[in-house]
Amino acid sequence: MTDQALLLPQEEKQFSLAKDAFIRLVANRLAIVGMVLVVFLFFVAIFGPYLTPYDFLSQDLMSRNQAPSWLHWFGTDDLGRDIMSRVIYGSRTAVIVGFSTVSFSLVIGIFLGALGGYFGGKIDAFIVWLIDITMSIPSLLLVIVINVSLKPPLVNWMDAQYVATGNQIYRNTIWVDFVLVFGSLALIKWPKAARIIRGQILSIRNKNYVVAAEALGVPTSRIVRRYVIPNAIGPIIVYISAALGEAMVLESSFSFLGVGVRPPIPSWGNMISDGLRIWQMYPHVLAAPAAVLAIVTIAFSFLGDGLNDALNPRQWK
Amino acid sequence: MTKLLEVNNLHTRFKVRNGYLHAVNGVSFSLDKGEMLGVVGESGCGKSVSMMSLIRLLPPAAQITEGEVFIDGEDITNASVSRVNAIRGSKVGMIFQDPMTSLNPFMKIGDQIIEGIVYHKKIARADALSQAAKYLKMVGISNAEHRLGEYPHQLSGGMRQRVMIAMALLNEPSLVIADEPTTALDVTIQAQIVELVKGLREKLNMSIIWITHDLSLLAGMVDRIMVMYGGYIVEEAVIDDIYKSPLHPYTIGLLKSIPSLKTEAGSRLPSIPGAPPNLFTPPTGCPFSPRCTYKVDRCQSEVPALAAVPGAGGDRPHRVACWVDMRGRGVEQ
Ligand SMILES: Nc1ncnc2c1ncn2[C@@H]1O[C@H](COP(=O)(O)OP(=O)(O)OP(=O)(O)O)[C@@H](O)[C@H]1O
Ligand code: SF4
Ligand SMILES: [Mg+2]
Repeated sequence: MTDQALLLPQEEKQFSLAKDAFIRLVANRLAIVGMVLVVFLFFVAIFGPYLTPYDFLSQDLMSRNQAPSWLHWFGTDDLGRDIMSRVIYGSRTAVIVGFSTVSFSLVIGIFLGALGGYFGGKIDAFIVWLIDITMSIPSLLLVIVINVSLKPPLVNWMDAQYVATGNQIYRNTIWVDFVLVFGSLALIKWPKAARIIRGQILSIRNKNYVVAAEALGVPTSRIVRRYVIPNAIGPIIVYISAALGEAMVLESSFSFLGVGVRPPIPSWGNMISDGLRIWQMYPHVLAAPAAVLAIVTIAFSFLGDGLNDALNPRQWK
Repeated sequence: MTKLLEVNNLHTRFKVRNGYLHAVNGVSFSLDKGEMLGVVGESGCGKSVSMMSLIRLLPPAAQITEGEVFIDGEDITNASVSRVNAIRGSKVGMIFQDPMTSLNPFMKIGDQIIEGIVYHKKIARADALSQAAKYLKMVGISNAEHRLGEYPHQLSGGMRQRVMIAMALLNEPSLVIADEPTTALDVTIQAQIVELVKGLREKLNMSIIWITHDLSLLAGMVDRIMVMYGGYIVEEAVIDDIYKSPLHPYTIGLLKSIPSLKTEAGSRLPSIPGAPPNLFTPPTGCPFSPRCTYKVDRCQSEVPALAAVPGAGGDRPHRVACWVDMRGRGVEQ
């Protein structure tokens, strides 16, 4: 038969689709480098703080600004704190902010994006308008405004609570930084998630295979489960990878500018900003956090590119 | 013979930016059990929308505003959504134009073919799969059991269209609607698919509606032909009557634009001058009047009804919607 002959070159492909995607990902060297680094980052963020010999806060004024050595692999900073411990703790800060921001944006994005994509019409127009408005807000400006307007009253309120109740919980204002940073980041980041999900739903809903399934009398709930979600998942995974990297970089940028996570809690951003003051004399103080931030950024972009190619069936033809 | 399908005065329109697009404007026809009907007309004339309206397989912007559809005597236009799903899954099979995009890339061929019967007939998966293998063999796919475990991207276009046909037939439908099933395929594979459907029709005794914009493709395949223009049926007759004594100016134009053996190489084929109909603000009279060379005054003010021509068509009526009696003026081939 004619089409048998046409089929021959493809005959060897015996892999399932998920396997196929994975094989394509693994075949991509850079993607593997990215994946290994990202996995290592998560490992360090979760277990690192328990493995370091030094506390990230403990100062040793006798050994300030020491160059890297066996005792302090990345050296010490101007207060004699172990830089490696601080970089490790900074990875935890970055990962916490990254994950909370991305999950929060995904929840809002899925809800609004799906709503717009399914119902269309006025609801969709309103959501698209909301997305456009939000995307036009400069993120740095928003974070500064939130910091200036929301943070002081919140901190004052907590102080007052501490004075009134004596409860230690209210003394720790560090979490205010975290909540404000990822709160404002989520406010900026959800439109992108919403856009991707809305676009996926709109395009898959009109796909011929969905119409073909409807023609077989397959009910909507099953179509969503077996046709829409599996086809939408690729771009969403790619989005998650890219957004995680982006959120971590943004956290560092905000902390660098002093509107993110503040010392003494380590963030790569505030460490870079500290290092900038003395890097001409003690370059290692700047080098360690800056190098780590650069490596993480590159790792996420390698992984994102690899996932994008591996999960996109159009690249397989 | 009993009527499998009856359609009365069906209207379907789309809600668009500032008004309505009238895609189907009062379509009435019927189909006998085991009969094969060809539907022709130029792109955008409402072939797909009218046939999809039969099982309410329409995008959200579309609405059926008037008319009724009966399949096996059951009213479809007023049935519940779950009832319509059940009818789609048991009595009607659909074959689409583009086999490359009509299969879910994330589902194995086997699982996809059996979607309908597993859901509607509550058959165990294993039984459904062996049934599917039987149908894959029937549509000419070798190594069928093996194919069930493959994904769509592992199959060629012709193979996928065969899979789509097997998928449509697995429910043992009494009506199959094939919407330009060969348009996207190579000419040789087109011919194979046409032969396949002809053979299956005899074997399974189904009624088939075959949509195409290529009048010549229907020769030797269908029993009757229905010609559509601007959302209206303009002519309908048994195949010989359409080819030998067409009565609507549009059908005559279509036939003249088919190349034949007599056409000299290099000569230009006659085409119908003028733009396709405006469905947004349709003309008040005959939809074809802006392009018709035979038109009379009445054509611009009154829509001609589709009516049987007295004395034409033998045992099956030859229906035409035209104010002018074209007998003796068309192409006599
Ligand atoms: N989703 C839609 N929204 C708005 N208008 C539509 C939609 N689908 C179809 N139409 C309009 O309805 C009319 C009839 O379309 P239909 O698909 O039935 O044409 P067709 O005869 O099948 O043409 P083709 O040969 O190109 O398939 C066209 O004018 C088209 O523009
Ligand atoms: S009714 Fe008039 S305009 Fe319409 S096809 Fe007949 S002759 Fe032409
Ligand atoms: Mg069509």
